[in-house]
Amino acid sequence: MNPTPPFPCQQFMPLLSRRAALSSVSCGFGWLAFSALAARAAAADKPLAPKQPHFTPRAKRVIFLCMSGGPSHVDTFDYKPRLVTDDGKPGSRPGSLWMAPKSEFKQRGKSGLWISDFFPNVAQHADELALLRSMQTDLPAHPQAFLRMHTGTSQFVRPSLGAWATYGLGTENENLPGFITIAPPNNVGGAQNYGSAFLPAIYQGTRIGTGNRFSGSQAQVKNLQPPGTPQAQRLELDLIQSLNREALARDPRNAEVEGVIESFELAFKMQSQMPTVLDLNKESDATKKLYGVGDRDTDDFGRKCLMARRFIEAGVRFVEVGSGNWDHHFNLSTQLARNCTSVDKPIAGLLTDLKQRGLLKDTLVIWGGEFGRTPYAQGNDGRDHNNKGFTLWMAGGGAKGGTSYGSTDDYGAEAVQDKVSIHDLHATILHLLGLNHEKLTFRYAGRDFRLTDVKGEVVKGVVG
Amino acid sequence: MNKLLWTLPLSVGIAAVVLAQQPPAKKGFGPGPGGPPDPATLFRFIDTNRDGKVDKREFANAPFTKSQPAGMADATFTVLDTNKDGFLSTAEFQGIAAVRGGPGRPGGNEPTQPQFATPKAATAAKTPERATSPEELAFFESKIRPVLVEKCYKCHATGEGNKVKGGLVLDTREGARKGGDSGPAVVPGDTKKSLILEAIRYAKNDLQMPPEKDGGKLSDAVIKDFERWIQTGAADPRTGGAVAKKEYDGLKAKDHWAYQPPKKSSVPAVKNTSWPRTDIDRFLLANLESKGLAPVADASKLTLLRRVYFDLIGLPPTFDEVNAFLDDKSADPLANVVDKLLASPQFGERWGRHWLDVARYAESTGKDVNTAYPHAWRYRDYVIAAFNADKPYDRFVREQVAGDLLPSASDKQKAEQLVATGFLAIGPRGLNEQNARLFYLDVADEQIDTLSQAFLGTTVACARCHDHKFDPISQKDYYALAGIFLSTDTRYGTAQGVQNRRPSELFELPKSASAPTFERTLTREARAGVEKQLADKRNELRGLFTPAPGQKGKGPQADNDPRRTLDRLRLLFETGQLESQLKQFDATTGEEKALAMGVQDLPRTQTSERTANFRRFAEGRIGGGRPDEFSAIADAALYTRGDASKPAEKVARAFPVALTHGTPSRIPTYASGRKELAEWLTAAGNPLTARVWVNRVWGWLLGEGLVDSPDNFGTTGGKPSNPALLDTLAVKFSEGGWSTKKLVREIVLSRAYQLSSAHDEKNHLADPENRLQWRMSPRRLDAEGVRDAMLHAAGQLDLKAPVGSVVALKGDFPIDGPNTAALGLSETQLNADTTHRSVYLPIVRDREPEVLDLFDFPDASLVTGKRESTSVPAQALFLLNSPFVADQAGSLANRLLRWQSSGVSADESAQLKERVNVAYWLTLTRPPSANESKAAQDFFAKFTGGKPASPALQAAAWTSYCRALFASAEFRQLN
Repeated sequence: MNPTPPFPCQQFMPLLSRRAALSSVSCGFGWLAFSALAARAAAADKPLAPKQPHFTPRAKRVIFLCMSGGPSHVDTFDYKPRLVTDDGKPGSRPGSLWMAPKSEFKQRGKSGLWISDFFPNVAQHADELALLRSMQTDLPAHPQAFLRMHTGTSQFVRPSLGAWATYGLGTENENLPGFITIAPPNNVGGAQNYGSAFLPAIYQGTRIGTGNRFSGSQAQVKNLQPPGTPQAQRLELDLIQSLNREALARDPRNAEVEGVIESFELAFKMQSQMPTVLDLNKESDATKKLYGVGDRDTDDFGRKCLMARRFIEAGVRFVEVGSGNWDHHFNLSTQLARNCTSVDKPIAGLLTDLKQRGLLKDTLVIWGGEFGRTPYAQGNDGRDHNNKGFTLWMAGGGAKGGTSYGSTDDYGAEAVQDKVSIHDLHATILHLLGLNHEKLTFRYAGRDFRLTDVKGEVVKGVVG
Repeated sequence: MNKLLWTLPLSVGIAAVVLAQQPPAKKGFGPGPGGPPDPATLFRFIDTNRDGKVDKREFANAPFTKSQPAGMADATFTVLDTNKDGFLSTAEFQGIAAVRGGPGRPGGNEPTQPQFATPKAATAAKTPERATSPEELAFFESKIRPVLVEKCYKCHATGEGNKVKGGLVLDTREGARKGGDSGPAVVPGDTKKSLILEAIRYAKNDLQMPPEKDGGKLSDAVIKDFERWIQTGAADPRTGGAVAKKEYDGLKAKDHWAYQPPKKSSVPAVKNTSWPRTDIDRFLLANLESKGLAPVADASKLTLLRRVYFDLIGLPPTFDEVNAFLDDKSADPLANVVDKLLASPQFGERWGRHWLDVARYAESTGKDVNTAYPHAWRYRDYVIAAFNADKPYDRFVREQVAGDLLPSASDKQKAEQLVATGFLAIGPRGLNEQNARLFYLDVADEQIDTLSQAFLGTTVACARCHDHKFDPISQKDYYALAGIFLSTDTRYGTAQGVQNRRPSELFELPKSASAPTFERTLTREARAGVEKQLADKRNELRGLFTPAPGQKGKGPQADNDPRRTLDRLRLLFETGQLESQLKQFDATTGEEKALAMGVQDLPRTQTSERTANFRRFAEGRIGGGRPDEFSAIADAALYTRGDASKPAEKVARAFPVALTHGTPSRIPTYASGRKELAEWLTAAGNPLTARVWVNRVWGWLLGEGLVDSPDNFGTTGGKPSNPALLDTLAVKFSEGGWSTKKLVREIVLSRAYQLSSAHDEKNHLADPENRLQWRMSPRRLDAEGVRDAMLHAAGQLDLKAPVGSVVALKGDFPIDGPNTAALGLSETQLNADTTHRSVYLPIVRDREPEVLDLFDFPDASLVTGKRESTSVPAQALFLLNSPFVADQAGSLANRLLRWQSSGVSADESAQLKERVNVAYWLTLTRPPSANESKAAQDFFAKFTGGKPASPALQAAAWTSYCRALFASAEFRQLN
């Protein structure tokens, strides 16, 4: 039995307490000595300070475009000619019939990736995309699959991918949270999907709006609005800080007071910075147009994507952008078309924009949902849940552009080659961020926990 | 039969067992430290079904007999079974030690000194195996070994850079023969039992090796080679042990301090005899003195008073209470305060909340489909009442585990005890789980996890899939406990709905118990209406579950009509809601029933899942039946690797072996065993229960437990900073009637508790974490403290306990509703716009009220013995900008401005000073310093621009000032 050191990876020693940090310093005190001490202590427990990854990262940040409901892969990114030829013939479920894709597939870019006309704009970025066409998840039920997608498990309460990434890497801008989730659904596991579980609370995702109630034009972070004038608040804040400094003078070794002082300054900065980042009016008309902001169909998701870019640019580590209602049991041809339209231009705009700003090379963009849909029809014009095979793609941030990895069977019903599990996906994302998924651990209840539990293999085939 | 022949390998076998249980370091195997397990321990290992005797099958399966030639085990068994009853008793089994004693003493009738083979003998007498031919070896080297190296070692080998997945190592002969968690990989000559063949043939979905990503299935030719190799005896010259990484060293871990019963120590002598006030002080001081340290000075009276108030009742003292304390001229004013606080109803609200953290109390399921538990509050109230009544802790434990099975003197008591078992029912739960078996295994797992961490400070749930890696909990121990909970009917309610596949019943408390309700009514006419609606909808639903015209295949899965599917989902939800509404009211009187969550034993006979579902279907309800094997009281199977689809042998219901001292009650076949479990938890021999509780109480009063990992006393947990003190407190606690109030009193009245939190350089350098208690650790108010103290200062706090909770009023529903605004809780409701104490706020999993959530309220799905303490900007934003804080600051400002009318002084600046003074007392329990008074004057001068202020501007200025006090670091500090 090997006794495990309490923190197997020193650089991820969680939140070394100020007391512990102070203990390592033996000089006497006085104000100067204290300042030095406080600086050291602060560094030790600034959990959001940037941290060194395990190895040279390909991606410094992530934008996860999360389509909840289970977007159909066979109508979008997984080309199955057999579905066209066998349209209307008996499908794999008793009594079911194969149903041809609702949109025509074409080869795109130099790589010749097959992408359907549901994504004409994204298709123009084909050579940036790495399609994972052999995704699998364990259950064809929304809540479980959605949680698994985000935390690796639906059975237990575990930290979310974004929380792990922020825990591993900190953030580049301490005036903003390290993990932001825009319009997450409030069902299918709710807050657990961006929760920090046993990780320190600071790593949990800051929610901006929720799936059902949020529209891109009403983005909010709670309590950002001062109750009075800025002058009145500065006066109040100065009073608070003077009281705090008074408390610190009485008890110079009380690092927690110092922590409070810091958090107020930060909050004050967030008040000004957060609305600035959220304020899309700072963008040029050309940029807004690029994202489809202002067009009825694309305005909402366009705003969310633009906001995501602004967060990323401001130094946020992990941004998730939610799009709901991909659960097309009925009216697939019209509803899926509408959904695709609503995100296609914004996503393409995001990719273009990131590229022209030189951000795409180290920003990993991920698109996908919790599972895919059946190649056979449900009713006349719908598809059922399919956890056995679906497609997800990555772009930028070290993802190998113009690649198709793995495959499903002739109809798209089940992954058959190079299957990729959610643990594999997580391992790969962490890998691109320069983190070894087996070493990114947190000790809780006597065990070193990982995002990937005891599984996960990096999908080398999509790493460029 | 030649006894000489078989005695030798048998004893060698025992040595092999011993080997497997020792750490890699080679030690002698003679008697003495590091020696073999005694026969009694071996016996427990072999007695797999835990019935206290070993039968032939168990004996044959024992590791040391398994490897013996056929017939050997039987023969040995016959010899040992002296009374010929077909079972070996412990006494009979003792004979095994004598077997090695030599010919002529096979029965072990004469007591002999046990002798065990030496490692040398073990090597010399390797399991005899047919000699291998050079051809067979050549075949292995050319055809088999290269494939193993290339395809298997990466995940199944002991070498550097390799892994041992599934407990299987394939780079040694022993490893391959012994196999991994699923069974032996290679059984010479037996192609059916050799799992390696099954795996490489890709015969089953769940065991396919090598995996796809490592190249996938081997070629047919290679598979044939492996078949031939195994058929011809699986020649294998490789050496080395079977298991590279020792997974489980239960015997060694059993020596861990926490698993020994606590022992009282005599009070140590101290040099500075004038300092200690109580025995606690003597234990602590002796420790400090041994390190050359001394405690700091005592806290000031005001600091101490604020500390005691928050620690005991979670509120600051009022003006009058401060004055009463300062004016108290009796011998021990603090003792008077403590006694008063212990007797106040606020004590239970504060200390009950501590327990609710541990009991992961919440009013919804959390997880995938967050669904309300509208009756969970009864458990909350039970806990609060238990602390107020100073219910002996052992009784408190027993009631929560088995209150339904304990005798009761009245209906009221009976109801109370049933509500106590809500402890087992309020856990997080994935109601949308499709796999019924997995669902019930998860329910039991959650109960085991919570119970073992809460009461025992042990993470038993780690052993669901494999033996615990660090603590002496085997997978068998886990399933022995799981059997108890799988024999239990956990009733958590929830209404059937779109994504709720697993609603359960609730308990109705008898009217004579006079349990509180909202006293709503459902008139006869109204009821008839609801019943009619329900009947109609059920009819409609039944129709939708019968195959549609022209539908191929059976069941809703085959129904391809989307409209029917949609209707089904809607009706499932609607009927669920109506059912829940009807259940809430008495059919004859129309009065609201008192419903409760809790548990009871399952019946003794099984109901088949099909029958149960069929019956439910006939009622117009869908699914939800228990799997056959979990429908009655029974032992649970051990699930291989925790996989719900892989039940292995049954394990008799029992308690973790390593934590058991003395002889626990046997669990009768006709009962779940919860009663026996409850007794076992609180029996004199239990090494953990009292220790864990005493440590929790210590931690809640002093900021850190004597063991700093209150939920984990295992080998990976912290060590006690003062073992003698912890043990003595634990023994005194259990011997003295398990009184929590007495314990709290004893700690609070110690001089150690009353120390100041001042810094001391020498002590700090020697003991920076203050583990030795040289001062009071500076602490922060918890979330409830922050909110309650604001309401208190603002004069807004309503100390009356409300009936129920917001969640209860809203009824049975998914928290976020099925995409409609009509259902679910609004943000405002979740944040409970009330002035009751925070303990009564709605605790909905993942949607905890903002004010609590921001200030490190624990995740209500996890056992939490120690809260986090963070300083994050979101807290600052809340304090600066939230309406709640603005309201409280406004109310406090009003209170202060009204002070004027009492006419202390007409002079404006004196008046301002007076108000600031009052504000300080109300928020920080002290007068302001000169600097602080000055800062206040400056603030008001700047705010009003030095001019006479309008009432509105004055109110704004005072609101801002009060908010600043609430937002100051000191307000949240507890020194």
